[in-house]
Amino acid sequence: MPVAELLFWFLTGLSLFGALMVVFSKNPVHSVLWLIVVFFAISGHYILMNAQFLAIVNLIVYAGAIMVLFLFVIMLMNMNTESEPQKNRWLRLAAIVSGGSLLLILVAALKDNKGSISGVSDLEGGIGLIQNLGKVLFTDYVIPFEISSVLFLSAMVGAVILGRKESANLKS
Amino acid sequence: MNVIILSAIWGVLMMYVGFITKNKNVPTYVAIAGIILLLVVNWMEYLGMFFFNVDTKGMLEYDSFSLIFNQVILFSTLVYFLLSGSQVSSFKNNVSDLYALIFFIITGISVVAGFKSLLMLFIGIEIISIPLYVLAGSEKSNLKSNEAALKYFLMGAFSTGLMLMGIAFLYGNAGTFMLEGIQIGATEITPMLSIGLILLLCSMSFKVSAAPFHFWTPDVYDGSPTVFTSFMATIVKSAAFFAFFKLFQNAFGNIREEWGILVAIIAVFTLLIGNITAVFQQSFKRMLSYSSIAQAGFMLLGVFAMNSFAKQGLILYFAAYSLATIGIFAVLAKFKDHSIEAFNGFAKQYPLVALGMLICILSLAGIPLTAGFFAKYYMLLGVIEHGNMIWLAIFAVICAAVSVYYYFRVVQAIYFKETTIQADVTFSKPFAYIMLANAGLIIVLGIHPDWLLSYLNI
Repeated sequence: MPVAELLFWFLTGLSLFGALMVVFSKNPVHSVLWLIVVFFAISGHYILMNAQFLAIVNLIVYAGAIMVLFLFVIMLMNMNTESEPQKNRWLRLAAIVSGGSLLLILVAALKDNKGSISGVSDLEGGIGLIQNLGKVLFTDYVIPFEISSVLFLSAMVGAVILGRKESANLKS
Repeated sequence: MNVIILSAIWGVLMMYVGFITKNKNVPTYVAIAGIILLLVVNWMEYLGMFFFNVDTKGMLEYDSFSLIFNQVILFSTLVYFLLSGSQVSSFKNNVSDLYALIFFIITGISVVAGFKSLLMLFIGIEIISIPLYVLAGSEKSNLKSNEAALKYFLMGAFSTGLMLMGIAFLYGNAGTFMLEGIQIGATEITPMLSIGLILLLCSMSFKVSAAPFHFWTPDVYDGSPTVFTSFMATIVKSAAFFAFFKLFQNAFGNIREEWGILVAIIAVFTLLIGNITAVFQQSFKRMLSYSSIAQAGFMLLGVFAMNSFAKQGLILYFAAYSLATIGIFAVLAKFKDHSIEAFNGFAKQYPLVALGMLICILSLAGIPLTAGFFAKYYMLLGVIEHGNMIWLAIFAVICAAVSVYYYFRVVQAIYFKETTIQADVTFSKPFAYIMLANAGLIIVLGIHPDWLLSYLNI
């Protein structure tokens, strides 16, 4: 078995295990830490596909910034097993049924898949290199790229609106 | 394209307006001016005059269907600003920023109006949703508004996740985001395609609040400030429906038989749940949110039928439903008490406003001579022309009959109940005239819908 394939299976197993641990951990802080493991594993997958830029960005943005934010929120809310609200049994049952149905549909549909997904080649092809990515982003995908600036602007305006003190008459 | 760019620019301009002047009425005027500008610009694009020649690589394309839809949306927003502008400017601060968010939403709507690529669909839907979460929670001291914003955000983010997952599966299947590429590949059902389709169906049903994905709707519509409920129940919902229709027509049109039954089932559930639950509501605002679910059921018939009647019907439905609901909400927003009893004897106090409101309610109920009648008529015609499921049309007619009951409870309160004095409610003269003009427009559309539909080249 070549090294790349071995790595692929290792990373796949790691990300699945990490994802399961995120769900099953009782302590929310442990969940967040396992989530970081998942992100690292996924970044490993990106590197296997020679998408170095995506891998680094995934690490910096998700494993770095967003996870720190998660940790802060969890610590500020002071969540632990005692303060966890009692879950309704019917709610739990409904969640199991609906989640199980989704799983059933996904498995039922994907079991027939021939596995003929093309376009992804391991360790070769320069499509994920930062130079090519930049070129594609600013030629073929420049319209979505530019329009998403409106999205970020509106998110910023929204954050300011929600974050500003209500009664302050802007004197200070 | 004209609208996308100018609306984004105008949104930024709105923020500067708040910076320059502290007068609270100025942002409303600037916003009205902006919407009129956008209307003109969109019309010029319809006539073939472009200000911006942008090569979108086929990701955005505007045909007459998209542009007329844009025109309907912009006009509804104009009516919304005229009727509810005073309510927006009664917010303590951030008035101009709230308007800026509305203009950003319009940018998103015109992205959705022309998308040819799933990427643009996603960005458009997000630009619509994220400012809406903020608008829902803009009344910060009100707990219900906070709850609405949080609920909307969590549910919306979840459904966006479903949509992304669906898009990922479709991309894996076809190797492209372009709708044409997906359409060509969609002659036979592959596992990945069917999963992508189902996930997209679920997330779009969520966005248009179709049952069984409607649970967020009553709480969010009820909790949000009434002005913004009006906006999200009409203009944004129309945009989501347009996206739904366009996506399923352009990407999955070839395999209509496969998903038609799913949409039909969702439509039946939506009509049933929306109408039956609305009957039992005591609060007018909550009743309107259930009625908007019921109307969504009717619009789903258009997605199901997907022929030229459905296209015309949807445009007409957007116009009829938006104008009528904006009118009703504009009146409701002035009331502190949102129960139906608050409207007792309303006609004696304000006969002109009550008349306008009456016509809006009749249009929602689908009474002939109002726009709502022809909107529903076209939908049913589309289903009958589709031919396979006549029972769907019959069921929809029965549900429309049920809806008359709860709409007429309000009419009864307005015209036939003893007066309860509402001291805190006042309507200015211009407001009454705009209400009447709006009602007149609804009647014109109800007598002669071709006046609007003749511009569609289908």
